Amino acid sequence: MSEKEIITEDNTAVLDEEFTEEVEESQAPDPKEHMLAVLEGLLFLCGDDGLSIQQSSLAMDVDEEYASMLFDDLQKYYLQESRGIEIARFGDKYRFLSKASIHEAAKKLFQTSNEVKLSNAALETLAIVAYKQPITRVEIEEIRGVGADVMLRKLVARGLIQEDGRSEAAGRPILYSVTDEFLDSFKLLSLDELPELPQFGSDESEDGELFHS
Amino acid sequence: MEEFKVTIEKFDGPLDLMLHLIKEKQLELMDLDMNVLTDQYIAYLNSMQQMHLEIAGEYLAELATLIEYKSKRMIPGSKDELEDAYEEDPKERLVRRLLEYQQYKEISESLNQLFEERQLMMGKPLSTEVDQWMKQPDDQMKYEGNPYDLMKAMKRILMRAQLSKPIEARYTVKEISMEDRQVEVRAKLDHLPETFRFEALLDDVHEPQMFIATFLAVLDLARQHKLFFTVDEQDVIWFRRGELVNE
Repeated sequence: MSEKEIITEDNTAVLDEEFTEEVEESQAPDPKEHMLAVLEGLLFLCGDDGLSIQQSSLAMDVDEEYASMLFDDLQKYYLQESRGIEIARFGDKYRFLSKASIHEAAKKLFQTSNEVKLSNAALETLAIVAYKQPITRVEIEEIRGVGADVMLRKLVARGLIQEDGRSEAAGRPILYSVTDEFLDSFKLLSLDELPELPQFGSDESEDGELFHS
Repeated sequence: MEEFKVTIEKFDGPLDLMLHLIKEKQLELMDLDMNVLTDQYIAYLNSMQQMHLEIAGEYLAELATLIEYKSKRMIPGSKDELEDAYEEDPKERLVRRLLEYQQYKEISESLNQLFEERQLMMGKPLSTEVDQWMKQPDDQMKYEGNPYDLMKAMKRILMRAQLSKPIEARYTVKEISMEDRQVEVRAKLDHLPETFRFEALLDDVHEPQMFIATFLAVLDLARQHKLFFTVDEQDVIWFRRGELVNE
């Protein structure tokens, strides 16, 4: 209940319709409101480890469909302008993350804002693995025209890709695929969410437009 | 030959350089003029050499292909009919590779954008205590972890250790071999339950060297099947004692 009151006091103007309606309906404790509060609390406790639908449904004793609906509602609630955190889902874990708009201020607060940059070589290699996985080192080298050995080892060490069995080809070379951490690092729910590869070729694009200069 | 202006840009390999040259000279990729491309490519490598820049082997490998193609064209009547019949035309092959490479080059820009957006969103740092609250292992867990999970979990343990480190501390560097540590770890095992977390072995560990020694010690015990490990969804490393521990 108290949470509900805070919501109405602070943000009446921006409130999601769903929330206002429920407040008006009754004064008795609403089981769904309670569930939302529990879920919010669990998410907070899990921190950067994140919480999956499966884990939350076990903890809250509800079915996964219901848990997923609760996540959706909570997610929607945090989309309000006046909220500084949002509930992100990359891979199968939900997590509280501070919104991008917080970053400027957070940088001042934490001096160790180590923004990581990925080199073109790293990005290209990751792209190839993500779109063609599982894929061998040699296949990657064929596409990029450069040796991939060191880069693959770096990406494995950073947890962005992993070895994923061996190919049936001669020498049984190692196959690579991307990890959940890759999905997380690129704001992807799953590989289906990868942006579509641009198509160059005689079929559709006019030759003049090959390079958008 | 056309005047060649040297631009010091970092190219990500020979294909990247070729795409750059094609764009600069406004060549048609679909109807590639191999002569111009080859000349430009050679000119570029030459100027790199003049500036005493090291040319990576990959650039030379592609150069060889380009020159081979050119030389075959120059010798009249040398066109090997048979070879042409069953080998992909080198020009077609190059165009195909350039097109494919260009796809990934472009998409990696979109990916970079996603990556940078994600970097602006921050998660709460790991809490040191959450560990203790997490529930006990269930017996259903299979004790056959894979090395990558283990690596990831170990990284997390080290991060937590970093967080719980006192601001100021005095310590003496203690050197201990993996073998010595293994003896200590085995002694600890007597007081531990059947299944336990890796952290249970770390109560006397404060320095990175000791973390590593302990980690190596358990790895070796796992290799000898005296310990079995698994890594759960939360990246917690669990151990179960093997039967041979108290031999």
